[in-house]
Amino acid sequence: MTVRSVSQSLPTSRRLAGVLQQVAQVVVGKHEPIRLALACLVARGHLLIEDIPGVGKSTLAQALAAVLGLPYARIQFTSDLLPADLLGVSIFDTQSSAFRFHPGPIFHSVVLADEINRAPPKTQSALLEAMEERQVSQDGETRPLPDPFFVIATQNPVEQIGTNPLPESQLDRFMLAIELGYPDASAERDLLAGGDRRRHLDTIVPQADAPTLREWQREAASVHVAPALLDYLQAILAASRGHAAGARGEQPGGTPRRGLSPRAGLMLVAAARAYALIEGRAMVVPEDLQAVFPAVAGHRLAGGARAGAALAQALLRAVPLP
Amino acid sequence: MAASPPRPLGPAQIRALGVLLVAAQLPLVVHLPVWVAAFGLFLAGLRFALLRRDERLARLRPARIPSWALALFAVAIALALRKSYGYFVGRDPCVAFLFVLAGIKFLEIRTTRDGTLLACLAMFVALTPFFYSQSLLGALAMLPAIVAAGVALEALAVRDPGAAGPSIRAAWTRSASLVAQGLPIAAGLFLVFPRLATPLWGLPADHAARSGLSDRMAPGSISELSLSDAVAFRVSFDGPPPRPEDRYWRGPVLSLFNGREWSALPPRPGGSLARGDRTIRYTVTLEPDDHRWLFALDLPSSLPAIEADSSVNAPKVGSLARDLQLVARAPVTQPLRYVQESVLGDRHPAASAGELRIDARMPPSNPRAVAFAQSLRSRYPNDREYIGAVLRWFRDQPFHYTLQPPLLEDHPVDAFLFDTRRGFCEHFASAFVVLLRAAGIPARVVTGYQGGEINPRGGYMIVRQSDAHAWAEAVVDGQWQRFDPTAVVAPSRIERGLYGSVPASDPVPLFARGDTGWINHVQLALDAINYRWRRNVIEFDHDRQRALWRDWGVDRFPPWQAAMAVTAAVLAWAVAVFATFAVRRRRGERTARLWSALCRRLARAGLPRPPWEGPIAYAGRAAQRWPQFAIAFDAIGSAYAMLRFGPVSEDERSALVATLARAIEVLPSPASLRATAHS
Repeated sequence: MTVRSVSQSLPTSRRLAGVLQQVAQVVVGKHEPIRLALACLVARGHLLIEDIPGVGKSTLAQALAAVLGLPYARIQFTSDLLPADLLGVSIFDTQSSAFRFHPGPIFHSVVLADEINRAPPKTQSALLEAMEERQVSQDGETRPLPDPFFVIATQNPVEQIGTNPLPESQLDRFMLAIELGYPDASAERDLLAGGDRRRHLDTIVPQADAPTLREWQREAASVHVAPALLDYLQAILAASRGHAAGARGEQPGGTPRRGLSPRAGLMLVAAARAYALIEGRAMVVPEDLQAVFPAVAGHRLAGGARAGAALAQALLRAVPLP
Repeated sequence: MAASPPRPLGPAQIRALGVLLVAAQLPLVVHLPVWVAAFGLFLAGLRFALLRRDERLARLRPARIPSWALALFAVAIALALRKSYGYFVGRDPCVAFLFVLAGIKFLEIRTTRDGTLLACLAMFVALTPFFYSQSLLGALAMLPAIVAAGVALEALAVRDPGAAGPSIRAAWTRSASLVAQGLPIAAGLFLVFPRLATPLWGLPADHAARSGLSDRMAPGSISELSLSDAVAFRVSFDGPPPRPEDRYWRGPVLSLFNGREWSALPPRPGGSLARGDRTIRYTVTLEPDDHRWLFALDLPSSLPAIEADSSVNAPKVGSLARDLQLVARAPVTQPLRYVQESVLGDRHPAASAGELRIDARMPPSNPRAVAFAQSLRSRYPNDREYIGAVLRWFRDQPFHYTLQPPLLEDHPVDAFLFDTRRGFCEHFASAFVVLLRAAGIPARVVTGYQGGEINPRGGYMIVRQSDAHAWAEAVVDGQWQRFDPTAVVAPSRIERGLYGSVPASDPVPLFARGDTGWINHVQLALDAINYRWRRNVIEFDHDRQRALWRDWGVDRFPPWQAAMAVTAAVLAWAVAVFATFAVRRRRGERTARLWSALCRRLARAGLPRPPWEGPIAYAGRAAQRWPQFAIAFDAIGSAYAMLRFGPVSEDERSALVATLARAIEVLPSPASLRATAHS
């Protein structure tokens, strides 16, 4: 018999590689964040991007929507944004003498919630509830959101004046929190030479559609997770809770504020599965877990992507493979 | 050991115990009254329902039924059983009580201690069907309970009931494989573990009578018995079986008559064995009937013995009474097997005239029969001619042989002979003997079985209750001679059995009908399997074990050597089982050994693996450092990652281990690796 290679070329992973390549044409020099964003989408999670304006957050969101052939909406969160602006309103239609629902921008498959921390808590809460339930309840009627439904929220970690920072319980709704960061020198040179990259959005060829993406999501959920990997994950979770010796101590940024919840563990498994699928593996290996761990655990451990990522890396290095 | 606080049971543990209890209860259900069976199962179901409710409502304190209520309940059950059965100390009510008590215990278990107790109780319940029947089917029906016991005990051993236990399916597979591994040991011990000559304990005899011939016979009693197709006994013959007309299985001999009912004298010892040249030897396996009769073909020429090859001194299971009845030493409550010899014949010497008086006594009843006999006697003064005349009269008059004779009131023989003329064998035998006694000829009724069906699949004969029969014996020329008036009226009864001799509308039991197609074939096949099971397993007792040892020549060795050999065999089996597991575990260990050896070598070559680094990342770094071995490193990383984290079958596993080993062999020594490092 022949031994299967660990990174066998799954048909799905070839198509996912096509998606990544298309997005990389538009968002230059950001291979790993793109990969994590796609993993988040395939794992049916939502993505939080913490970064300063102008690094290509909304370009990434638009590019992902375009390459997957999904309808896209962008909502600029402001201090006077109301839940109805997001979810939609019922207006009395004089011709039919009945209330008619006008769906808000949230009824799109890919929603970019820009500067989410600028909106009042009530509106934030409405968004996060919709993210969790994948439906909108208004005027006593429940309307399902499209499937797939993927929210990319951004917030600016520097300017905090006049903002409502997301509480930890709401940060928990996001599967992944990443930073885009400045492009490196060569990528920035390309960017500067090539002009506005947004023009390239029009050149993107859709690589999939909603049913295909749902199929990928199902496939990701069935990627094999071995008992040994769960051992490793549990060791990491225990270390984050300060149970394991050596997990505390001289970590940069001090000890975690709190340990990772079981939900965080579930999200880690889901994200690692999706990442393994993108890598073309029929099983999750520790490398997959380690790749998604800073993005999944960072904002849960420290409340911010940057501080959390460092903490998460330190945690990973403190836990040996079983 | 310090007393630890009682550990509460988790829902998974309670479920496992419940499954065990139900698996133990189910085979017993057929032996219990419907209300007891339904009630015991209901109690188990109630606990399941409560458990579900607790889980759905996520209640911290599970719903409970107070202990005093359960105790009261148990007392009520005991009283109800006493009322239902009419007695309490006996097998049936006690088993029923245990059945319900186990259900009650299940309702209230809370701690692991309770759980262990319930597991023991359930396993005892699982044993109780053997009090009723030791058939192969019964033994198979017990298997689920055994496997469930393994699952429950494993669940009980889990220290932390809140944690997710092993998957249900894996637990069942594991338990079943444990049972399968234990079977050879059990089979070996079955053969060699010394058995006691007498049981350690006995079962209380129950009051409920079983079907079978009794020492009394009234009109209708045998036709009633004939409605049952239960097996009376099975016979295997050493030679060819006797012809149908010779198949008279002698049972209770009835000499006393009160005008309506026949009854037997208390057995008097001193019967003499028959001598003759038509000897036939056979082994009878008698179903328990709570009576002391042993059945033999007319006429017994030996005492019933346990062993086929036994000498004169071999233990006998019964004695011969003066009227040639075989009588067991104790009522037959367990299946009894004995070797018997008979001389086929229909006459044997009669005792002195003084003793025959009792066989000529007539109570003042049935005047019409007596008058008829006397008028007939005046025409035939010779005994033999008179008997011939009576039999002719039976044949010529319109008598009918039927399973559904009309009810006879006073003077039943008169009514039968002159009014109804429809009867079963007991009517004919009884009327025949009355006519003979009224003419002064000593005569008596003999009951037993007539016929038997050869099971072609087992080469043995099945005699059922539906073969029950009654015939007559009379003294002619100083000898008892057998006469069967039924054979005169319905000759086919003797030749072909019950079915076909009675009207088609009579309710003949299914398995007595001879050829009824596939049902009969299946039934005979099952009976043959059960017969072998009984002969080879159930009846393997102290004596047969000794005989087997003799055959093996074990008795030539001193006991300690035999014991050593047995111990060695058991140990060898255990070692074989453990070795299988050790090989499997070593395969996992080999992977780990290969991997850590590789890590050590690369560390010496200047590329240590940090403890947190995954195999693919590490192999990737190594491939960058030594690009000339990139293919080997890729194979190593892939194979190890597959073995550790992949879904691999057993076949793939060994292939992957081989790949891993080969790829590591390709690499040169650490020193030369260090010398050729890239960058």
